[in-house]
Amino acid sequence: MTDNPNKNSKYLCPYCSTQYQTFDDLKTHILKDHKNEPIPAPEGMIAMTINGGSYSLRAEPELTLYDLIHDRLGLIGSKQFCDRGACGSCTVIMEGRAILSCMALAVECDGKQIETIEGIAEAEHPLIESYAKHHAMQCGYCTPGFVVTAKALIDKNPAPADNEIREALAGNLCRCGTYPQHPVAILEAAVEKRKFPEGKKRSLKPTEDADKLSFEAVKQDALDKLKGGE
Amino acid sequence: MGSEEQTRMEEMFDNLRADKYPLKEYTYIGKRIPRRIDGVVKAAGQAVYTMDVQLPGMLHMRFLTSPYPHAKIKNMDTGKAEKLPGVRTVLRYDDPEIPEFAPISGHTPTADEPPLPRIAHFQGEEVGAAVAADTETIAEQALTLIKTDWEERPFNLDTEAAPLQDTAIANLEMYPDSNHINEGLLDVLELGDVEKGFAEADKIFEFKSFRRLHTWVGPERPCGVIKWNGDCIEAWVKQQRPHIAKRVISKWFGGIPMNQIQVHCLSQGASFGGWSQTNWNMGGHYCAAVIARRTGRPVKWTFNRREDFYGGSMDEGAYFYKVGAKEDGTITAVWGDSILSNQIYPVFNPLKHLVENTRIPNIYCKHKVVMINKGPTVPTRCEQNSAAHAFTMIFDHVAGELGLDPTEVALKNDGADGHDMDWLNQQKAKRGFEVRDSLRECVEKGKAAIGWDEKWHPPGEKKLANGRMHGLGFTWTHEWDDSAGSSEMAIRIERNDGTATILGMGCDNGVDAESSYCQVAADELGMRLEDVHYNPQFDPGYFRMTPDSSTNMSINGFAVRHAARILKKKILEVATTPVGKSQRGEFPPAFPDAGPEELNIKDSVIFLKADPEKKMPLSELVGASFNSGPLVDPEALGVRTPFTVPLFAFGYHTQTGTYQPNQPRPRFCRQGHFMEVEVDTDTGQIIVTRVVNTNDVGKVINRASCEGQQYGGTYMGVGRGISEEVIYDPVTGVMLNGNLLDYKIATILDSGPIDTILIESGMGYGPYGVVGIGEDIATLIPTLLGPAVYNAIGVRINDFPITPDKILTALGKV
Ligand code: FES
Ligand code: FES
Repeated sequence: MTDNPNKNSKYLCPYCSTQYQTFDDLKTHILKDHKNEPIPAPEGMIAMTINGGSYSLRAEPELTLYDLIHDRLGLIGSKQFCDRGACGSCTVIMEGRAILSCMALAVECDGKQIETIEGIAEAEHPLIESYAKHHAMQCGYCTPGFVVTAKALIDKNPAPADNEIREALAGNLCRCGTYPQHPVAILEAAVEKRKFPEGKKRSLKPTEDADKLSFEAVKQDALDKLKGGE
Repeated sequence: MGSEEQTRMEEMFDNLRADKYPLKEYTYIGKRIPRRIDGVVKAAGQAVYTMDVQLPGMLHMRFLTSPYPHAKIKNMDTGKAEKLPGVRTVLRYDDPEIPEFAPISGHTPTADEPPLPRIAHFQGEEVGAAVAADTETIAEQALTLIKTDWEERPFNLDTEAAPLQDTAIANLEMYPDSNHINEGLLDVLELGDVEKGFAEADKIFEFKSFRRLHTWVGPERPCGVIKWNGDCIEAWVKQQRPHIAKRVISKWFGGIPMNQIQVHCLSQGASFGGWSQTNWNMGGHYCAAVIARRTGRPVKWTFNRREDFYGGSMDEGAYFYKVGAKEDGTITAVWGDSILSNQIYPVFNPLKHLVENTRIPNIYCKHKVVMINKGPTVPTRCEQNSAAHAFTMIFDHVAGELGLDPTEVALKNDGADGHDMDWLNQQKAKRGFEVRDSLRECVEKGKAAIGWDEKWHPPGEKKLANGRMHGLGFTWTHEWDDSAGSSEMAIRIERNDGTATILGMGCDNGVDAESSYCQVAADELGMRLEDVHYNPQFDPGYFRMTPDSSTNMSINGFAVRHAARILKKKILEVATTPVGKSQRGEFPPAFPDAGPEELNIKDSVIFLKADPEKKMPLSELVGASFNSGPLVDPEALGVRTPFTVPLFAFGYHTQTGTYQPNQPRPRFCRQGHFMEVEVDTDTGQIIVTRVVNTNDVGKVINRASCEGQQYGGTYMGVGRGISEEVIYDPVTGVMLNGNLLDYKIATILDSGPIDTILIESGMGYGPYGVVGIGEDIATLIPTLLGPAVYNAIGVRINDFPITPDKILTALGKV
């Protein structure tokens, strides 16, 4: 085995970290001393539960959680708008708390439970339907971040008041200015969620006549439904 | 075809009058719809944007940017960068495939900038080199290894001083003689005789205002992907006008046939005009195409967040006004002068709206454009920023100077081309419109909604219990989303279930026009909305207007409607003629004893008008398709089905629009906006407590989408009015706040409740009387902060954005 002059790896034993001059020496050592041991985990591996599935992933120290989920795992629902913790479009839920994935290093999230917009949609959360119904989006780039923030809010506070919703969303930027629709959509979803805690399958075809959907109407409707429902 | 609808379609081209053929009744048009077409996909995070695209083997390309506001590259050493592991190619300004000047841009401004210039005309400009590497991080790292010898040049950042600076010419290459680039070129707007007008005035006053540089802030960064498939090219563009991208690409590398270019235009994290308009948009693609060809790999180019900030609105600068008016508020003359920066396309005179929109008989405005060493300016929702700014400034000053209610001053001066309302009303009648007073309707509805009559007070007189000063402001203008454009759309009826698919160019930047097309098609075809779907053609073979070019529904709406009406006629003809015709015979018609005119369609069911119980769903008419298609069921041994001919139709429309000399289409629809604020005189903070938007949109198609433009525009406008400013360091010429922490856009907390009032006068030239709405509100609201703050504190602040320091200074507190 000839040595590659460009190599930057040393022949380090993955079991005991002893260093060898050549690959053949390392091989001999492993066969002699570690033959019956299980294969060691490579360095830089982290474990995570994402949307209920378990992942074992390699994460370089500088890798952000956003890069990991968006670029590596292809969970593209999380979006990067500001790239520095100012916009909320990259929001995910970690251990029940909404966090900014662009500001979290992947290695910090080792062993954590993460929920992304994909998981929220998969679980048939009523927010998806109410956002579509109330036009709580335009270009949609910021929208998943809002939905994730809202989901974390409803989880903690199943019956949020209007000002509580506005406060919770104060860290989410929407350049299209869709803001006024979010409290409406969230309020309605919160009521639905209380009625169907396990989620309710969205029908492929919208059925409801959405002609009268002012904020006040929805609020009233929500209250009425609540009386009947609970 | 030669059908009646075909004739009507052609008759409507360049429409100069009211829609002669609207529908009698509307089922979906004008309503709220249960779910916007892209609602679920966007809420669930499934919408794919160009930034999300990853292809096997894809390289990442980034550009070198200039550290100086004005400098020339003397020498460049890219050796170290090229050797960095992971770097695949470094493309340099002196590469043989980088032309020195090339018409590679998609849009007129700065068309002949080279794709990798050697000279930077603003700090942050992409110059000299592009690096393609395995990851974006490696590309960025490689950029830091490029050694560049710069020859620094004098620069200027001061719009007002620029014309006087012959030593600091901002762009020696394009404008070597002077920073003032449009002397004698479309720089004067004139109507009547201002001297005469001033002689008639009871009061004459002068003032000055400033608008500081602001920008679009597209949530998705500028980016694109290029891939070669042999000699065919595939491009993913974040571009409001993908058809331009395709045409531009066809000119590269000695020419690429249009049919060998495939363009994907995915969802776009909006840019509001923005980078979609600058030559860098296509320049980036060109550099990526060169590298992709050399490496045989797909290449994605991106700007980082900061790089998106180097571009601006077209209204930065100083505005000077002299206004003459009578005691009753009648304006007799307005003289203006303005000096605005980097408007390479200098046609947007700040007093334009006064001509288009008022009876003021005497107007003169000089419009100077100067080059400074900041980024390019392009229409940024939208090119009317300067006109809307000047309009609001003038009207509110007239009201203030004369002690009048601004809504009264507006109504007194409404008109067009120096003519009064009688003239304008004659124009409405002559063109077949119902004569309505659009502005009065806006004012009355808006005043009632905000409680104007109870709340209006002289400036600086109302202190609230919380210690803040209360202010109320009003502004107005016409609508202007009515520009030149064309559209081609098709609709086909699907086999098996008889649903309708609209085929048109894909270009989604958020306005949900696609739902509107479905509403139009559903009403025109007599189908249920849920049976109509818009199928975007990502390759722009069909051409349609996107919000770009300031027009959408007034053109696309016609195209869909024509297609639907032609198709409906075809369907009814098919329903009354024998079907499944072949050499083996034919099947009887679905409605054997009726003519097409005796039938109609409702809820996707065809029925006999005289006896609605005789009916057939569309799905039954078109029949099923089997393994061998709709014609034959081979499993039943060649038994034929009563197949119909393919049900497909297309429509198209074109208009030259309103921006024409002599205004062949005077504008009739108006908008008015009302704002209530509280000003904290200790901190200088402005709290917007309530906004009322009244927009005469002619006819509402998609109600939720119209309202979205109202409150969305209001939020964008409030941000622009109170905080948005791109700041450059005067000493180094370096941009200081190119990020979302230091450049503040509005958050949900920055406005109180917004009332969205839509008025439907029917006085638009589009189908059913529509006009646009998308550009209006965000453009008018920023300067409305001026009147509202003046009414609160009684001191004028004519310098936008109105930041707290300006309020405290005006109050003499700092
Ligand atoms: S991208 Fe993470 S907060 Fe903006
Ligand atoms: S919908 Fe466009 S940024 Fe929020």
